[in-house]
Amino acid sequence: MRFMMLMIPKGYEQATPGTMPDAEGVARMMKYNESLQKAGVLLALDGLHPPSMGARVSFAGGKPKVTDGPFAEAKEVLGGYWMIQVKSMDEAVAWASRCPGSENEVIEIRQVQEFADFPSDVQKAAAGFVEMQAQAGQRTSGR
Amino acid sequence: MRFVILVKADKQSEAGILPDEKLLAAMGKYNEELVNAGVMLAGEGLHASSKGARVRFSGGKTTVIDGPFAETKELVAGFWIWEVKSRDEAIQWLKRAPFDGGAEVEIRQVFEAEDFGAEFTPELRQQEERLRERMGQKK
Repeated sequence: MRFMMLMIPKGYEQATPGTMPDAEGVARMMKYNESLQKAGVLLALDGLHPPSMGARVSFAGGKPKVTDGPFAEAKEVLGGYWMIQVKSMDEAVAWASRCPGSENEVIEIRQVQEFADFPSDVQKAAAGFVEMQAQAGQRTSGR
Repeated sequence: MRFVILVKADKQSEAGILPDEKLLAAMGKYNEELVNAGVMLAGEGLHASSKGARVRFSGGKTTVIDGPFAETKELVAGFWIWEVKSRDEAIQWLKRAPFDGGAEVEIRQVFEAEDFGAEFTPELRQQEERLRERMGQKK
């Protein structure tokens, strides 16, 4: 099973454009990343620039409307993610708990929808999706 | 530059209701355009937060909280990772997505090694490169 571990750092919703993580924090996190990788569970990981450099697009009435960051109403935002491949939700939670998280950081763990999770009518409508992922060079549990 | 495109959850996705055939077909067509243009690096949907959990770090301790996270308005239902030349290009692509009914999608730039300065030492850079190589992650 694949899981996303979504890192939600407290206060990142207010970070100014150009905010960078500090070297000490990065070094600590790299050790953790390496432990995930050595265990063979790590599929992908990335850190995200602050939301003040991002944008949101909303689709009311099917019309796209662009709003530039920061997003004043946001109470929590994503700071980065890991994609892991493990045998159970419990294992995913155990891995998240080993992360060198800072005070008031939260990691949300969410299972990825695999093609096989879909009922047959949805699989039919989504035919070609797995091939599309492969063409995009993406690693999925099936490969 | 790479961007993560975060599709927000709504009542339907949180209730575990899958998109109908019409939307799936429209999304399939859109995804195909993204792949053909060499923009799409990854794309996934996530199960509802009721099947998820959160780990909170406080005072050197971890607390596990089981989903759903009803108090949160900002849950993620799915995401793409795109490779584009600019933030504008990402916005232009997103505007063409077959969403409706007040759906909200967030665009966030990914940190690349070249965004960092001297604090990202040669040793750390090598470690990072080794990791990505062994994972086979596309960037």
